[in-house]
Amino acid sequence: MSFNRRDFIKTIGASSIFVPVSALAAPSGSTSSKARIVVIGGGFGGATAAKYFKVVDPSLNVTLVERQPVYTSCPLSNEFMSGHGTLEDLQSGYDGLKKRGVNVIFDDAVSIDPTKKTVKLKGGKSLSYDYMVLSPGIDFNFSGVEGYTEAMANTTHPHAWKAGPQTVALKKQLEGMKDGQTFLISVPPGPFRCPPGPYERASQVASYFKSRGMMKSKVLIADANDSFSKKGLFEQAWKRHYPGMIEWVAGAAGGKVVKFNAKNNTASSDFNDFKGDVVNIIPPHHAGNIAKSTGLTNDKGWCTVDMLTMESTVHQDIYVVGDSTVHGELPVYGAPKSAHMAATQAKVAVGAIVAKLNGAPAPEPFFVNTCYSVAEKNWGFSVVHIYRKKDGKLVYITDAGGISPINMDDEAQLVLQRKLESEYVHGWFKNIMADAFA
Amino acid sequence: MKKAVLFVMTAASLIAASPVLAMDNVKDLASTCNACHGLNGVSVGPTMPSIGGLPELYLKNVMLQWKNGDRYSATMGRHFKGYSDAEIAALATYFSKMPYVPVVQKADAKVVAQGKDASERCETCHGATGSEPDDNETPKINGQWAQYMHLEMLKYRNDAVKMPHRKMRGNIKKLEEADVEAVAKFFAAQPK
Repeated sequence: MSFNRRDFIKTIGASSIFVPVSALAAPSGSTSSKARIVVIGGGFGGATAAKYFKVVDPSLNVTLVERQPVYTSCPLSNEFMSGHGTLEDLQSGYDGLKKRGVNVIFDDAVSIDPTKKTVKLKGGKSLSYDYMVLSPGIDFNFSGVEGYTEAMANTTHPHAWKAGPQTVALKKQLEGMKDGQTFLISVPPGPFRCPPGPYERASQVASYFKSRGMMKSKVLIADANDSFSKKGLFEQAWKRHYPGMIEWVAGAAGGKVVKFNAKNNTASSDFNDFKGDVVNIIPPHHAGNIAKSTGLTNDKGWCTVDMLTMESTVHQDIYVVGDSTVHGELPVYGAPKSAHMAATQAKVAVGAIVAKLNGAPAPEPFFVNTCYSVAEKNWGFSVVHIYRKKDGKLVYITDAGGISPINMDDEAQLVLQRKLESEYVHGWFKNIMADAFA
Repeated sequence: MKKAVLFVMTAASLIAASPVLAMDNVKDLASTCNACHGLNGVSVGPTMPSIGGLPELYLKNVMLQWKNGDRYSATMGRHFKGYSDAEIAALATYFSKMPYVPVVQKADAKVVAQGKDASERCETCHGATGSEPDDNETPKINGQWAQYMHLEMLKYRNDAVKMPHRKMRGNIKKLEEADVEAVAKFFAAQPK
């Protein structure tokens, strides 16, 4: 491709031409410009929220609190692990948001007082808010797998379920493998971040083996669950591209890992011992710790929200978005914990808050999700979710959405379909990163 | 009987009114498109087209064809089945009113020249550089993403998938295999 850095900068420049689209944009000096909006967490959910407040009304007073000056995307991190692209391709700083007038503070939000409406930061500062968007992502429950610890995750056994140094560490372990060895992935009970993620990771590891002629190597998936996202699509891909290389053990077949012995690299369920040369334990997770300590989580550890606005059902004026929430049409059509879902939830929360500031009713919410997975070069597929308000409730639109077709009339059609989606994911990625951070 | 007539009339007037209702919140619906097509419809991802400033009728036709299954898409059909025809019309109007911002992509001069030679058959409808479509059903393609256009041409060249525009299919299939990417790069390199 002829797309270079200069083009990219030009494009970003072009896309930031201000087009006054918002009927809600309030004149400066109005109530809305005096309101203090605090966004906690600068991932896809939080960054998109901070940006869209400024897109809708540049006069809004928006502060974003984020721990790290550089964000690393989980989407495409499995592809990075197997040798595609660089870590920098997955990263963004926060200069784009600063340029839009967002006050970005690199600090750790340690506690929220929902009554006084204040946030304490580790560095000693305290912030007051009128409205908060909380997008804390996930934290891990290390006690869910006995013998697996946070210290191990940071050193010998990265889970790499938050992208960054652990992704690089797991990539190095993969690169150290020899033909005939086994890469073991342990999948926690759902719900977890990125439902198709573990199976895409398995595919990418197999792709790495295949591309290096390591045809005796295997990927073993020990799963706490009895089914998984895009199962038919993954199984078709595995049969076609990696016959005999990927084995999936369902929860009902004893796949749920509860114990790990680092000395002999063995993960165990109540019935089976799984041994790997590289062992990738993805521990069970829950809403980010700050959501828990603020009392926003239910007994399963996730934040319940008003489905139409994303406002917490526990504390008023705190809107929770992203992986930490329970959202969608429950229980069957729950929203996936994905970057795209977090971004669409963020836009809805922004719309609801700005409407409140202007004394208007919340606008009709539109939630859209597209999750691409790449199983092999030129072999991608997706799942689409559309949620809309019908009769006062949020519903999943069954006429729309769904997974890419598994079987198609003809081979040429199937090959085209998979190729297109394997290419579209990269365009999606550049746009959704820019939509959040630029 | 009178009641029934009245009911039908009321229903008809509601349907007639719905495009206006959809217009009220079209910007909220449109903001969901930004995740893949960029703010104001200016894409920064090479496989995703910019949609801001494209002709209204073209945008509307394509979205409706996807929704109705008359035009093959890998992903978009699954989206548009979730929206009414009136909402789709409102989206088309909304994005057509954005400025068209070409993303000029430099390419090897030889490839661009090869693409220019091979693109003569495109000129009648899209204009010599892709910036002057001859009607409201035809998109601008200057400064559109080359990789997107390349993939789109692969659809037209593949008889196994349904594409509605017979003239487009015929012309694109007449291109030499080696010229397809060059044509995409030629139009992508044109600022106007």
